[in-house]
Amino acid sequence: MNMIRTLLSGFLKLYQKFFTLLGYGSCRYYPTCSEYAKWQLETNPSLLRALLSSAIRILRCNQLFDGGIDYPKVSIRPSGIRHRHHGCQKVRYWFVPDRGNGKWNVIKNTFSKGHS
Amino acid sequence: MSTQMRVVIATVLSLIVFIGYDYLFMPKIAPQAADNNKTAMSAPQTAAQTETAPPSVAPAVSQEPQKPKAAPVRGDTFDRVISTVETTNMTMEFDALGRISQVYLKDRQYRDEAGEELKLFNTPKIPKPLEVRFSDPRLNDLAFKTPYSVSLSSVTVDGEPKTITFTQDLEGFVVEKVVTIYPDHHYDFVVRLSEPKPFYVSPGYRPDLRIDAYTVHGAMVEEADGTLTIIEDGDAKGTESFRKARIAVAFDRYYATAFYDFESGIDVVVNKDAEENPVLFVSGESGRTMHGYIGPKEHKILMAIHPELTKIIEFGWFTFIAAPMFKVLLWLHTYIPNWGWTIVALTFLIRLILYPLTYKGMVSMHRLKELAPKIKEIQAKYKGDPQKMNAHMMELYKKHKANPLGGCLPMLLQIPVFFAIYRVLLNAIELKGAEWILWIDDLSVMDPYYVLPILMGASMWAHQMVTPSNFTDPMQEKIFKWLPVVFTFFFVTFPAGLVLYWLTNNIFSIAQQLLINRMLEKNKKAE
Repeated sequence: MNMIRTLLSGFLKLYQKFFTLLGYGSCRYYPTCSEYAKWQLETNPSLLRALLSSAIRILRCNQLFDGGIDYPKVSIRPSGIRHRHHGCQKVRYWFVPDRGNGKWNVIKNTFSKGHS
Repeated sequence: MSTQMRVVIATVLSLIVFIGYDYLFMPKIAPQAADNNKTAMSAPQTAAQTETAPPSVAPAVSQEPQKPKAAPVRGDTFDRVISTVETTNMTMEFDALGRISQVYLKDRQYRDEAGEELKLFNTPKIPKPLEVRFSDPRLNDLAFKTPYSVSLSSVTVDGEPKTITFTQDLEGFVVEKVVTIYPDHHYDFVVRLSEPKPFYVSPGYRPDLRIDAYTVHGAMVEEADGTLTIIEDGDAKGTESFRKARIAVAFDRYYATAFYDFESGIDVVVNKDAEENPVLFVSGESGRTMHGYIGPKEHKILMAIHPELTKIIEFGWFTFIAAPMFKVLLWLHTYIPNWGWTIVALTFLIRLILYPLTYKGMVSMHRLKELAPKIKEIQAKYKGDPQKMNAHMMELYKKHKANPLGGCLPMLLQIPVFFAIYRVLLNAIELKGAEWILWIDDLSVMDPYYVLPILMGASMWAHQMVTPSNFTDPMQEKIFKWLPVVFTFFFVTFPAGLVLYWLTNNIFSIAQQLLINRMLEKNKKAE
């Protein structure tokens, strides 16, 4: 399972490096569709859901939708993100609770490069 | 990594995506010249053997089916023509074993440069269409040593179908093959045996007129549930059987020989020959009428015989999108006689379908200029942090409903459309030798003077010129600027029709962008 995730993530990275130039500056969202898919693949416990939400995101990425900031949302058990280790650990994603529906917004830690 | 290096990698990667599949997964067959040599080499041999007694040694072991029946002594011993059938569009020859040994196509579009009629079979491969093989080895041996007698040695089919009866007397066991030929490339046949014996009939080895590495050739079976199983040349794994199949077809790029039955189905066995190419056999039933087709995979002809028969026109793994695309092209072609302009019209049609999206995008652009000061503010504020800058920009666009970007979906939709047109251009016989204007006299092959690819590159460059872009990564910007050049080279070997499609598409994009730019300009002046 993890291999599939890594492989897909790798493809996305390749796409972002080269192919994205063919349709340069197309995406109407932040994060871009490819980045969104990457975050989903890396955080969503269900691979199927990760793929599904990424596909739906691409379908939404057209002129009929307004675009804007749209973070991936995932359902994870709170225990999965509780801080267990004391000491320094690099934060890769922030999980921000969505409006009381048990889901979490996934935000990649690109803003501050520090430790938690 | 240098810029050039990246450009090279980008080219290679795009190649993999666009046509890599075909190159990687399709067997590379030697061009026809090699096949012709083979013919020349083996032809005298065959002739020599025909002169003497039927050889009982040197059997063509490799080409015999393994399971359903024992080996015949030789397949090509009785190759003298005993009956010739003339229809309005083909000449069919039957050999002394009651098999179709050659088919000449009469229609003008199927002639070669010198105006000679094309022959479907150019190598002495067996089985030939309508070849009967018995499971009983002794009987089979005898059947391949005994010539058939024929009811008519020359028939002309014009309008009404004509029937020929082939009879073979195998020491009292009588084989009767009744073939009814229609003027539209299809035929019916019945095999009657004086006493029941298990036997097989073959629709024949595939035609070998157009064999290349770009398109699929081999055999295909449409199973009872409509599943299409393709066994490409070089990929036949041994004996495979299909119960109650609907179609069994052996084909090259443009031509096919098939048996079909859409009501009661046919039991098909696929064997392999020495080159691991598939060889088709259909289980015979004494007295049962079966249907066959031999000729070009032309939509109009197949449609007239039976709409289901059009399934033998196959576009590779992209059929599901290429087939509808082909139908649209055919429909447009009924109004536009020139295939080149038909492709231009198709491009226009696709743009038209996407117009509601484009229009919405254009309207939202109007509001963009009001945001100019705010955009500048964001750009200044987050100068060192492109992530944050992008996030704020997108949110600003959303707030004011003025997103200038097209979106990923319209961009990604282009890919299947592009693929589909590529496959249609390669596989559809209707587009073989299709002209456009001036120097383009065959849209299914590359532009011999490189004019279209160069124009395509130029149009791509022009599109970049009129489209505003802001790169945060200077390296990306450099690669972006080089893309038109990369694409020109990349498109050089593509069928001219595909380059024409992309060129037209670019021109429409430029026109659209200019329109948007003008609207923005007007708004600025109005201020």
